[in-house]
Amino acid sequence: MNATVKLVGTNKITIADEKGKFTFKDLCDKTYTIEVSHIGCETKRIVLLINGDTYTKINLEHHIEELNEVTLSSDIFIKKTKTGQESIIKTKDLERFSAASIGDALKQVSGVSSINTGNTIVKPMINGLHSSRILILNNNVRLQDQEWGIEHAPNIDINSANQISVIKGSGSLAYGGDAVGGVVVINPNNIILKDTLYGRTILSGQTNGRGYNISSTLNKNYKSGWFAQIQGSYKKNGDFKAPDYNLTNTGLNSVGLATRFGKKKFESGFELYYSYLNSEIGILGASHIGSAFDLERAINLGQPILIEDFSYNINVPKQNITHHLAKANYYKRFQNFGKINLQYDYQNNQRFEFDVRIGDRKNTPAVDLTLQTHTLLADVNLDANLNRKVDFGFMVRYQDNFANPDTGVRRLIPDYNKYDFGVYTTTEWRIHDAIVFDAGLRYDFNRMDAKKFYRKSRWEERGYDVDFPDIIIEETNTQFLTNPVFDYHNISASVGINYRLNEKNQIILNYNLASRPPNASELFSDGLHHSAARFELGDLRFNKEVSNRVSVSHTYNKSKFNLITEVFYNRIKNYIYLRPLDFILTTRGPFPLWSYQQTNASLFGIDLTATYKITNALQWQNKTAFIKGYDVNTDLPLIDIPSFNTINEIKYSNEAWHNFSASLKSDWVLEQNEFPDFNFDVENELNGEMTTIDISSPPPSYHLLHFYSEATFPLRKKTRLNIGLGVNNLLDTSYRNYLNRMRYFANDLGRNITLQVKINY
Amino acid sequence: MNTIKTTNINFLNLNSMKTSKFFISALFCLTLITSFTSCSSDDNDPKEVIEEELITDVILTFTNTSDNTDTVVLASIAPDGQDGASTETITGTFTAGATYSLGLVLTNESENPADDVLNDDIIPEADEHFFKYAVSGINLTMTRDSDDTDGAEGSKLGIKTTWVAGAASSGNVQIALIHEPQTTDDSDEWGASTGGSEDLNITFSGVEIE
Repeated sequence: MNATVKLVGTNKITIADEKGKFTFKDLCDKTYTIEVSHIGCETKRIVLLINGDTYTKINLEHHIEELNEVTLSSDIFIKKTKTGQESIIKTKDLERFSAASIGDALKQVSGVSSINTGNTIVKPMINGLHSSRILILNNNVRLQDQEWGIEHAPNIDINSANQISVIKGSGSLAYGGDAVGGVVVINPNNIILKDTLYGRTILSGQTNGRGYNISSTLNKNYKSGWFAQIQGSYKKNGDFKAPDYNLTNTGLNSVGLATRFGKKKFESGFELYYSYLNSEIGILGASHIGSAFDLERAINLGQPILIEDFSYNINVPKQNITHHLAKANYYKRFQNFGKINLQYDYQNNQRFEFDVRIGDRKNTPAVDLTLQTHTLLADVNLDANLNRKVDFGFMVRYQDNFANPDTGVRRLIPDYNKYDFGVYTTTEWRIHDAIVFDAGLRYDFNRMDAKKFYRKSRWEERGYDVDFPDIIIEETNTQFLTNPVFDYHNISASVGINYRLNEKNQIILNYNLASRPPNASELFSDGLHHSAARFELGDLRFNKEVSNRVSVSHTYNKSKFNLITEVFYNRIKNYIYLRPLDFILTTRGPFPLWSYQQTNASLFGIDLTATYKITNALQWQNKTAFIKGYDVNTDLPLIDIPSFNTINEIKYSNEAWHNFSASLKSDWVLEQNEFPDFNFDVENELNGEMTTIDISSPPPSYHLLHFYSEATFPLRKKTRLNIGLGVNNLLDTSYRNYLNRMRYFANDLGRNITLQVKINY
Repeated sequence: MNTIKTTNINFLNLNSMKTSKFFISALFCLTLITSFTSCSSDDNDPKEVIEEELITDVILTFTNTSDNTDTVVLASIAPDGQDGASTETITGTFTAGATYSLGLVLTNESENPADDVLNDDIIPEADEHFFKYAVSGINLTMTRDSDDTDGAEGSKLGIKTTWVAGAASSGNVQIALIHEPQTTDDSDEWGASTGGSEDLNITFSGVEIE
């Protein structure tokens, strides 16, 4: 800490912080000499050619210090894993998504897509896997926000994120052992050890949905390590528009607040963090259907049944979700030992789903769930020997779900208590300069203790009277109250190697074993899911999912050309998925029946990211993802697997002209030609006619063009103004996406012109 | 313009430090937060959800207006209500050429005593409801009686109806109850509507006229 860093030949001097970080701003593409000095060290001079991102190492001779890496880049760039398939989304790229959602921003990464309900409920999907298979960490707190459902978007305000790491596969086992799909690590600002006050305000507006958005962050830092930050954002959208019609009732209101306070020193520190997010999200009015015939009519009509004039009003069906997250952590370093970190966090997630209901229950939500989670983490990081780092720790978690009976709708998710305990260790060995090896092992115990009402008819129809006769604790007129208690023991492991062959080539090999117990939705779903107009059935007999994932990454780096190739194979035992099964005949007519199923699955794919600098001002980038997923037992393709997509972007930038840049992006998504045919026939009872409900056929291929342009103007000494103008879906193309649940009812968004003003001060 | 930031020069020659103060304050904060959030809800058993406007039994009794011993009873029993399985039974056959009046019974038998849904819930809110009928393959016609209750959107509710059996035939009879329709039309007597939601949609198969 406190190393002095000089830029020779200029008056620029800075002090590195406790992690050795320092910053020089506003440099040109040329050769610089950097001088690093520190008490007890020999002053070292190095010559660097700055040309965008550059990489080098500085070896400081000191009595304890070891070889350290110094990364020179346009941004702070710390990876969470050494051998994972990890990508980082930087502040600047996140800021462009200020008016959108975290799920939209994550799609920057090749191989990351999303599964949507409309365009405001965006759930990230990593290599074809989503929901409980993706861990999301917000400021080192694992998000517990009822992530089990497809229409449950992560409760994160994108404006509170400073940097996001996307790790395909289970990543570091310190986060959890059940990341069959991947890990998303969201970090707030780094703390600067300087007496400073700085902030950022983003204002944006967009034509589609007549949306507007304001977000502000203010940071106060002290050289002594004390810091405080407050951030708030407000977002409002009215009805969005497809090229040919309004998407009635698709508006959004969202309010977010995040605040941090603490002291950060190298040797010790603490932080208190609190974040709040409330979102009211309208769901396409035309998606409210009654029976299976309504669904068939909606599919065949080709446009929404309900189209009204633009409005900011959000009517039913809608969601209203509030998420509170509070955390406290403390860490302390011990000489010749390492670092101990303790953390407690509490989360409260309140979810209301309002459906089209009638009579007295018009304003009563159909789903009213409160999920509370307490987590205690302890982590010990032994890094006294930088070539043999060892990390170990444990996690204790208690979760309480309460389903309010006042909804007047039988609970889809029951009341439950969940207890988790995890213990893990990871290690990282630097074998020599070019080779890093890492490995990890984790054990988790989960206990699910639920209290659920089953209709007697359902209980027998599912065969539970034979398999679970002992869990009935009470009997009413038509229902059994049951107390299922399930214990799961999960082992997860990872091993990987990172080998830098030479200046240009680097290879990473990684193997992950991940184990995920079934979630509340998969086990207990039973009943009419009103917002989806379908019956959903879980199964108490489900076992845990076990994933074996092997991946190989190759990075090729030349001054003008850069190519990252990521290949994976993921074999999942007891893979749980939700599929349309049949219809269920009720005295309201036939309803689609969706059932959770368990099978063995294999997924494999390749993700490419290529960048080519045509000239200094002109750059081309390609991101391509190809993935296949199969049900090994039936030899059928898996449902909801993203189709082949490729994005090409050409970007012109001119630093001399206020950092001006303009880019044109082509987004090409092919039709998913491998899908399971889960169509079913429904009989019209009156006249005996059979109707096929085409619930499986994916929509055709589409191609979209997007434009984005920005420039930055200095206003005062430390104030910069950035203006960004974008046009999404430039040609106003009509399209539907296979992974959008609203695809049965309406086209996706039409042209959207966005204007964003950002002030850094 | 580029920005240079370097990372990871960790200097591990730690000096002694004044950490006890932070430690105590952090511990204090932890305790504070834990103590007021960890009092979770008690472990009582969950309450059973009482579903409103549940209809378990729907019984249509057609009575010959000139011979009250000649009846046809169409009954649909769904013990779990509209969303559960149901059993339909048909008792009796229509007599060709005869005229019948239809009597409706809609009850919720899951409550004790059973709830008369038709008289206690539907008729008092007649302006929000509308019954529709349909037949297929069977020579039945129907009219809404002049003293039928007024239903939603200016149409007759459809609880008092008269049916005429034509030539011998067999087929299906359907009854639907629409809640809060946007528009209704009873000009063809059977009834048509848009919007709203179906509280009931039941088809009886194999009804006969002899």
